Amino acid sequence: MFKTTKLLSAAAISAMALFATSSQADTMGTPKISAMSILNGLENPWDMAFTSGGDMFYTEKCKGLSVKTSSGSVNALAGMKGAKGYASGNSDLFCSGQAGMMGVALDPNFNKNRRVYVASTSNKYHGSGCKDNFSKCDGNIIMRFEVSKDMKSVSNRVDIVKDIQYKPFESDHPFGGPGAHNGNRLRFGPDGYLWATTGDRHRGVVPQSPTLLGGNVLRIDTDGKAHPGNKPPKGFDKRMYTYGHRNVQGIDFRPSDGRAFTAEHGPWQNDEITALVNGGNGGWDPRPNVGGRGDCPDKYCGYMPNQKEGMLPAARAAFMPMSDERFGDLMPPAWNNNGLSQGTGSAAFLKGSNWGYWEGRLAVGIMGIGFGGTPSGMRIDIVDIAKDGKSIKSVIHMPSGLTKRFRGLRLGPDGALYAAVDEGEIYKITATATK
Amino acid sequence: MKYTIFMFIFTFFLVSASLVLAGDPDAGKARYSQNCGNCHGPGGMGLASYPKISGKEISYLVDRLQTYRSGKKIGPNSSLMIMMAMPLSDEEIANLAAYLSSVQN
Repeated sequence: MFKTTKLLSAAAISAMALFATSSQADTMGTPKISAMSILNGLENPWDMAFTSGGDMFYTEKCKGLSVKTSSGSVNALAGMKGAKGYASGNSDLFCSGQAGMMGVALDPNFNKNRRVYVASTSNKYHGSGCKDNFSKCDGNIIMRFEVSKDMKSVSNRVDIVKDIQYKPFESDHPFGGPGAHNGNRLRFGPDGYLWATTGDRHRGVVPQSPTLLGGNVLRIDTDGKAHPGNKPPKGFDKRMYTYGHRNVQGIDFRPSDGRAFTAEHGPWQNDEITALVNGGNGGWDPRPNVGGRGDCPDKYCGYMPNQKEGMLPAARAAFMPMSDERFGDLMPPAWNNNGLSQGTGSAAFLKGSNWGYWEGRLAVGIMGIGFGGTPSGMRIDIVDIAKDGKSIKSVIHMPSGLTKRFRGLRLGPDGALYAAVDEGEIYKITATATK
Repeated sequence: MKYTIFMFIFTFFLVSASLVLAGDPDAGKARYSQNCGNCHGPGGMGLASYPKISGKEISYLVDRLQTYRSGKKIGPNSSLMIMMAMPLSDEEIANLAAYLSSVQN
């Protein structure tokens, strides 16, 4: 008996030693990470965009667009209604709940044309709509500005998209305030076209609608016109690259093949990373009386079957799937955060040898939303996505030392990862390869 | 003797009640850190669409939490707050109010 026990103990110790060796081997090439705050005292910073020279444009949700130049000065450029200290004001731009000034992107030819693109909520195109939550409401727009050479002002505003849907009033839902689910991340793809994400704005019919812009990824030119290669289903708005999403706040393009991936925020289950397919369907359909569901509060089933109490995320997913398999054109997610929703806010592929073996992986910002027993989980994940985009190979929590609501991630021209957090700061996260 | 016993009991309940009403900021901080900060941020500073709740009057904070706990709606994120406030005891509400009212950020 003693010998058997001793042998088992020896075997266990040997196995542990093997695991330890394996674990050490796995850490070879892991980059050394450090983070420092480069801007603080901000109000809900949302997104950043960089010039090749290191100037950083950034948005604040209820204030406007600013730039921190490479020399360190900060210039407030385009303000929203009521914002003070900006070089110019835009009285139609407002914030409400989750909505406001959000995504920002620089033209690939910025050094020549000085163009910057900004997504924001606006009341300029409400027209006869927006009278209630059940009608068309053109309240999110994409603007193009030109930045002065001294980086102190913007001019020549042109609204290149005027009809992205907006939620004007409160509804009977857990996050039921006006301004819900706008998407509004902007990125230029390797094709030179502008990709814009949109949200379902808590209206059940929007994501699967052929004509309402909401719950889509748009691919457009710098005048707002559809990319000629977009292939949405027949009868759909040609600006749509994909449709059937809930609220896409993260999008970036894999360096190895240029393929677009989104990071999408689930309701109380299933945050998702998805490889986009031209004309594909995200599979989100919160309409009442479809998919085996009955009536839902304010004609939106997104938080059902139980809006007010915690329940198993898997049971929620079975009732109200993020990616409903009844759609033949479904784009299945590569990752669903182990069935949890913790709030994927943004995503950026890591480029540069300084990232060691993380190079080419997707950094995903998790805001941290813990309801119904779900742990909050504020963090940045490093996700290794399979080549076919249909699964992942691994997920690592980045040891950044930060526990923040990560709202916006963007890789800078210096190879560092920049993170905007709801706490009012922008961090620079640097990596140094260790092998 | 009867008077002494009465005064002892009266004082005991008075002190107990005042302790509950006053709340314990340290206990409130500990309770806040469990999940309130996920939305309202460090020290109740307010994040994203979730309002700032630090530095408010104790009476205001207690009233809001008690109202949410009763299931009544006040404002657009009521359903969330009702869910969060339902399990709170009177003592926890007092402690949270004591903590949040003491934070200036």
